[in-house]
Amino acid sequence: PDIAMHTATICSPTNIALIKYWGKRDAILNLPINSSVSLTLHTDDLKTITTVSASGAFECDQLWLNGKEEDVASNARLQNVFREVRARAGDLVDGSGKVLVEASEWLAMGVRVVSENNFPTAAGLASSAAGYAALTFALSKLLCVPKELEGELSAIARQGSGSACRSLAGGFVAWDMGSTADGSDSRARQVAPADHWEALEVLILVVSDTKKKVSSTSGMGTSVATSPLLAHRAATVVPARMKAMEAAYLAKDFAAVAKLAMQDSNQFHATCLDTYPPIFYMNDVSRAIVYLVHAFNDAYGEVRLGYTFDAGPNAVLMVQKQHAAEALAAVLKYFPPAEHAAEGYVNRPELQTAAEAVTLPAALFATFAAPPQPGAVRYVYHTKVGPGAALLGEASSLAGADGKPLHPSTQQRVH
Amino acid sequence: PDIAMHTATICSPTNIALIKYWGKRDAILNLPINSSVSLTLHTDDLKTITTVSASGAFECDQLWLNGKEEDVASNARLQNVFREVRARAGDLVDGSGKVLVEASEWLAMGVRVVSENNFPTAAGLASSAAGYAALTFALSKLLCVPKELEGELSAIARQGSGSACRSLAGGFVAWDMGSTADGSDSRARQVAPADHWEALEVLILVVSDTKKKVSSTSGMGTSVATSPLLAHRAATVVPARMKAMEAAYLAKDFAAVAKLAMQDSNQFHATCLDTYPPIFYMN
Repeated sequence: PDIAMHTATICSPTNIALIKYWGKRDAILNLPINSSVSLTLHTDDLKTITTVSASGAFECDQLWLNGKEEDVASNARLQNVFREVRARAGDLVDGSGKVLVEASEWLAMGVRVVSENNFPTAAGLASSAAGYAALTFALSKLLCVPKELEGELSAIARQGSGSACRSLAGGFVAWDMGSTADGSDSRARQVAPADHWEALEVLILVVSDTKKKVSSTSGMGTSVATSPLLAHRAATVVPARMKAMEAAYLAKDFAAVAKLAMQDSNQFHATCLDTYPPIFYMNDVSRAIVYLVHAFNDAYGEVRLGYTFDAGPNAVLMVQKQHAAEALAAVLKYFPPAEHAAEGYVNRPELQTAAEAVTLPAALFATFAAPPQPGAVRYVYHTKVGPGAALLGEASSLAGADGKPLHPSTQQRVH
Repeated sequence: PDIAMHTATICSPTNIALIKYWGKRDAILNLPINSSVSLTLHTDDLKTITTVSASGAFECDQLWLNGKEEDVASNARLQNVFREVRARAGDLVDGSGKVLVEASEWLAMGVRVVSENNFPTAAGLASSAAGYAALTFALSKLLCVPKELEGELSAIARQGSGSACRSLAGGFVAWDMGSTADGSDSRARQVAPADHWEALEVLILVVSDTKKKVSSTSGMGTSVATSPLLAHRAATVVPARMKAMEAAYLAKDFAAVAKLAMQDSNQFHATCLDTYPPIFYMN
């Protein structure tokens, strides 16, 4: 066997859905009951870095996630992704056109995957989605999947984790639900590139929560089985909202985008409550943030802030650049850091400085009279819309010469 | 004017809906977008006591609720109830059949209402519903509404507060949504009397809360206007649940009744969350 090791390192983003995916019509292929659309977040702030290495000397596939080895052999989703990308492997060709590795040779090589997120897993931001998008893209680069088959990568990532398919592209990305039984038409499509809306920014409020969460796959299965409102949402409400959201985003109509996003986040959580037994992903802090956003918009007399919540208590707020300091000021006022955690509370100190200089309107305090809750929010990430997955140079590799993790997981933000 | 005072005192229960009313198709007549069904709770534990008195010496109507005088003149719902019961007043007749007060004489008399709940208002259990049911029933006794018109009392209480119509009967009580524009067929019907299910009991957990609540009328109005899921609930989900719930209750099938009740409570709160801006009643 060829014991040479081939390697590729990529960087992949997370995404946040503004029209939510919740419910599968096919659990094996991860085909959804409705379409969804998301913002791809900038890898400058939140990212997954994945190094994949292949060699005839590797007897089996292995995967390390944030320093911990995961079980590959019994994970059907990982198996799906490996199988599907391998089936599309191409020749590795050098600069002069000489074939270094023939497509068929890849099949005899084991693959070692080392993947890390640059934010803590406990933050609830690291989802299967980011990881499967990274894995799919990384393998496609390593195994030289030909350009003409790249469009199929989204459907492959989807089989790992549904929403992963949206992270392969940058900007504003729709996942068309598709209609075929084999899922070949259930994949992502870029609605607008990352630079379409320069002024659009995002504040992620990581909320303290000790509760063990109901997994998305399990939760949405129960919802499909028991919620009468979910079927109606999927069939009747979402199609119209998808059209409206895409149009509003292309028009850069912030108020319309924010309102639709808030309504859809709430409706998703409403279907979770309509599930039996009911599922509560939002907690008291999440709800307080909701009240704050509505009070903020009322105080300024227009929709300047929007929120969306995934299957967890963290809030993702949307804001335009010119209002970002005011928005952060409101967050700092009502959700200041706990005394011992003030350092590094916001990932962008200059924004925090600008926020501290803001005078919030009196109307806000009148509408939202709750006392500040120090420590209710653990930290705040400011970010924006960014590009899709991208190849990195060898200097970024997470793996050593044997394809295994080079060093123990070091995470930039330790909390 | 006749300055004699006539008086009646009644006791009225609260009720708790197991299939929820949330949303009006007519805000003036309080006509709902779906039917609902409730348990009438025992007055041994929770009750409203209401005394109503009428006299030619009373120049206007007045009402005291838990010791505090309320504004009657500008309260359209109170006006509705007073007007509708007065329109059905009958003769006050003594034991020997002698007419002491003719039906028409009541209209010249002002009415004073004193009403009290035996549980704190801050508990969030004292609702408009209990009060309007009590008022309607008390006035009907005071003004001698004839027996044959008693079936109309439910629709009158409903005009004060929708769910009040269910408190006029005991046991398990449905409020059929009705279909006529004048609301005459939107009223309560007893599904099973109080003694149908002796083993069924209720524990009310009064939860601490400082948050000012969105009023039901305001909240349901916003829900009807903004929640796509609510329309579907009313048209498609509730009719089947009403049938299932009534059948389960008559069969004393506790698991079925409890499961339906939990699902319906959650669905009601889900439509509140699906409202814009969202309403959170549970904490």
